[in-house]
Amino acid sequence: MKRLIAMGVLLALVLVGVGVSQAQTTRIVVYSALPDLETTMVNREFTKRTGISVEALSVAAAGTIAARIRAEKDKPRADIFVGGSRDFHIPLAREGLLLAYKSPAFAEARVSPAYFDPNGFWYGWYLGALAIIVNTDRWDREMAPRRVPKPATWDDFLRPEFKGHFIMPSPITTGGGYIFAAVQIFRLGEDRAWAYLRALNANASQYTPTAPGTITLLARGEGIVGMQWAHEGIGARLAALQPLETIVPPDTGFEVGAVSIIKGGPNSEGAKAYVDFLASRTPQDINAKFGYRYPVRADVPVPMGATKFEDLKFVKYDLAWAIDNMARIRERWTREIGR
Amino acid sequence: MGWHWRAFDAPGHPGLAVSEPVAVIRWGEVRRHAGDPGVALAFAGAAVMLGLFVLYPAFRVLVYPTLQDYLEIPRSLRWMQAARNSMVMMVISTLTATLSGLIFAFAVTRPDVPGRRFFRNIAVLPIFAPPFMVAFAYILMFGRQGLITKTVLGLDANIFGWHGLWLVQTVAFFPLAMIIIIGVLEGINPSMEHAARNLGADEWAVVRTVSLALARPGIAGAALVVAISVLADFGNAVVIAGGFPLLATEAWFRMEGLADLKGAALVVAMLIVPTVCLFLLERYWVSRRVYTTVTGRGSRVERPPTHPVLKWSTFLFCGLMSVMIGLVYFGVVAGSLTAVWGRDWTVSLAHWRLAMDRIPTLWASVKIGAMAGVITGVVGVAVAFLTSRRLPLRHVLDFLAVLPGALPGVFIGVGFVLAFNRPPIELVGTPWILALALAFWHLPMGYQAAVATLKQVERSIEEAATNLGASGLRVLWDIYVPLLRRAFLGAFTVSFIRSVTNVSIVVFLVTPGNIVATFAILNMIGNGIWGGAAALTTMLLLITFASVGMAQAVVGRTMRSTPMG
Repeated sequence: MKRLIAMGVLLALVLVGVGVSQAQTTRIVVYSALPDLETTMVNREFTKRTGISVEALSVAAAGTIAARIRAEKDKPRADIFVGGSRDFHIPLAREGLLLAYKSPAFAEARVSPAYFDPNGFWYGWYLGALAIIVNTDRWDREMAPRRVPKPATWDDFLRPEFKGHFIMPSPITTGGGYIFAAVQIFRLGEDRAWAYLRALNANASQYTPTAPGTITLLARGEGIVGMQWAHEGIGARLAALQPLETIVPPDTGFEVGAVSIIKGGPNSEGAKAYVDFLASRTPQDINAKFGYRYPVRADVPVPMGATKFEDLKFVKYDLAWAIDNMARIRERWTREIGR
Repeated sequence: MGWHWRAFDAPGHPGLAVSEPVAVIRWGEVRRHAGDPGVALAFAGAAVMLGLFVLYPAFRVLVYPTLQDYLEIPRSLRWMQAARNSMVMMVISTLTATLSGLIFAFAVTRPDVPGRRFFRNIAVLPIFAPPFMVAFAYILMFGRQGLITKTVLGLDANIFGWHGLWLVQTVAFFPLAMIIIIGVLEGINPSMEHAARNLGADEWAVVRTVSLALARPGIAGAALVVAISVLADFGNAVVIAGGFPLLATEAWFRMEGLADLKGAALVVAMLIVPTVCLFLLERYWVSRRVYTTVTGRGSRVERPPTHPVLKWSTFLFCGLMSVMIGLVYFGVVAGSLTAVWGRDWTVSLAHWRLAMDRIPTLWASVKIGAMAGVITGVVGVAVAFLTSRRLPLRHVLDFLAVLPGALPGVFIGVGFVLAFNRPPIELVGTPWILALALAFWHLPMGYQAAVATLKQVERSIEEAATNLGASGLRVLWDIYVPLLRRAFLGAFTVSFIRSVTNVSIVVFLVTPGNIVATFAILNMIGNGIWGGAAALTTMLLLITFASVGMAQAVVGRTMRSTPMG
């Protein structure tokens, strides 16, 4: 009997706990593809500025959030989708799941129109560049004594010394991996690009199915050289003290990290205030300081340890072509590379 | 480990060999029960619940892609590759896991194998671990920077890929096989072995022709259950499979990397075909052929001594496997206390400080785990009671209650969002969706545990009560409820542990107000914060052990006071 009573009390407590966590009106719900730290700090500033409280769910993968927004489309649960490349936001806009909003703040901040959608479906508020990442511990032990020069260009990945030591995110399951493959095509033309990718495959130890996986493995010394976003590599070194060096080669590719408003969410007005807020200095500064991502505002200092964005040399990247040919290139990758 | 493992001794998985003579419907009895409004109402209620929370979400996922999408599956090279790989892993991991489980079960059921109690307790430890933990710990141990491979042996080993996954799945799933096979071996009457020995068979012949021969269908059943788990294994594969495509993870990558919900649904549908086949095979073919459990555990005859060679070789094997399990726990705890794994071995509490920030997620885990446990317990026991009556359509109920065991977690997660995000039943955004999804996914375990307990109830007690004029509900209340407490607790415990450590469902259903610990851990691994992830995992393990210990202590006491034992 005592146990039944105890069980009843426990159940009651659970129910009360559930009840309390509901309600409140001046708040927005944010799905964030940025890590917990940046998400929390940006949201705290937003609440301080506007008085609107934020309930956030930070998921390490933008694709999961986009899939979730699709699954919830009958009744959207969140107001904001923040973080993740625009490549995830654009299809959602096409499917009619996003709310168009002409943000006066982005216009005022003089953000380059290249970084946001003319119709106002998504706004880019940070940038990232693809880079070469080197595990310096293993490099110093295994490559330096053999006088192998540090890789500085994409072609350096093909050095025979790197056989079995190269890691990058899979072009089939990650956005970054795909951009890398597309960059090679824009850089070399399609035929030579495939020859390059096949040669690279001979050096590859593995293609990680998730993007952060590459950094984790390189940091843990499962590989010596790899390809990933520069901010991930720099962040791993400065924030997590991992033995990683980041080199941005010429002819690289970039991503535009975006924010968008989910159509039909519980508080669209609050969501608009959030988009405006991301155009301001504070959140971009937080993201640069703690996430090492480039701001889109010219008056926010670049992240520590990073070259100025204007000084990087980008390949001529045809976004429309890359999106239109995505299925075909991924299919060919599976056929010719096979992993 | 002071507590009892009762909860795990009871069959704990969809297919657990619960043998039952084919039902002979006695119409008089049917009419009597069906006419009982209480029982009829409960039956209808259970059927509606199972239809709503098991069939409906599954249906919503399967109809998400169009027929055209389904027809194009064979044209996707990557998916066919994933399907082939999944089949290969299923075969090899099932073989090794079942074999290990068999050897363990053999050792544990012999009274004269040294350390058998220890082996039995340590072997169930992987059941407490979150699904990614074995893989996570083995990377710390056997990876390129691994404590054993690099620091101790100085090797340059690459654990990522199918071979690493093979090792990890063997360790992660053999306990499942062991628990099932123990039940089977204990059901073998030792007098059979005595008889064989008296007829002049040597020890090896006794094991081969009596013990193993009698256990064969049970072992086949265990293998099928393991095979289902291997097919659906997401947590280990996602951490250690590297670039090796598999169906269970491919569904996830479709979603995570490409936001392709349709593709995810298609891959999951591909996974369901072999799983349901295995499941039906186990349920309606193998378990019908189990002859051992029918006789029960009644015999008191002493088991004969085991042949020394057999005794010591099994001892050696179990010792080795125990070390492998110990390494899982050691790896995680050590990882949480080491400054930088592989480079700076100084002891540091920095990771624990980081994990401290996530303590609210532990409470959310316990809260949702408890909700799921209660639901699984109540529904599992109720359905077990109903299917033990000779009611028409009870086989349908039985099938629905074990069906979730054949569905991958990612499938359930997506299904619940698609099914319950609009009126009349709107659950998305509340903790209930998570609790219900977890509860019904773990229902097969809870249900089977309850069925096993119910089988021990002397039928004659109930018949006596009925003859004295008690109604069906009265029988339930006066006779079964006291006995079912234990069944409830078994179901609650299993569901609680699996819910608290779940990843595959949580990852899609977690809501901003209810972030649970496993989700936080996976995020930390994803962001490269391995030390923090190890610390939070250690905390989660401590809380899980403490909760289960508490529950077992409470029940242990009441159980000793009941004559049922």
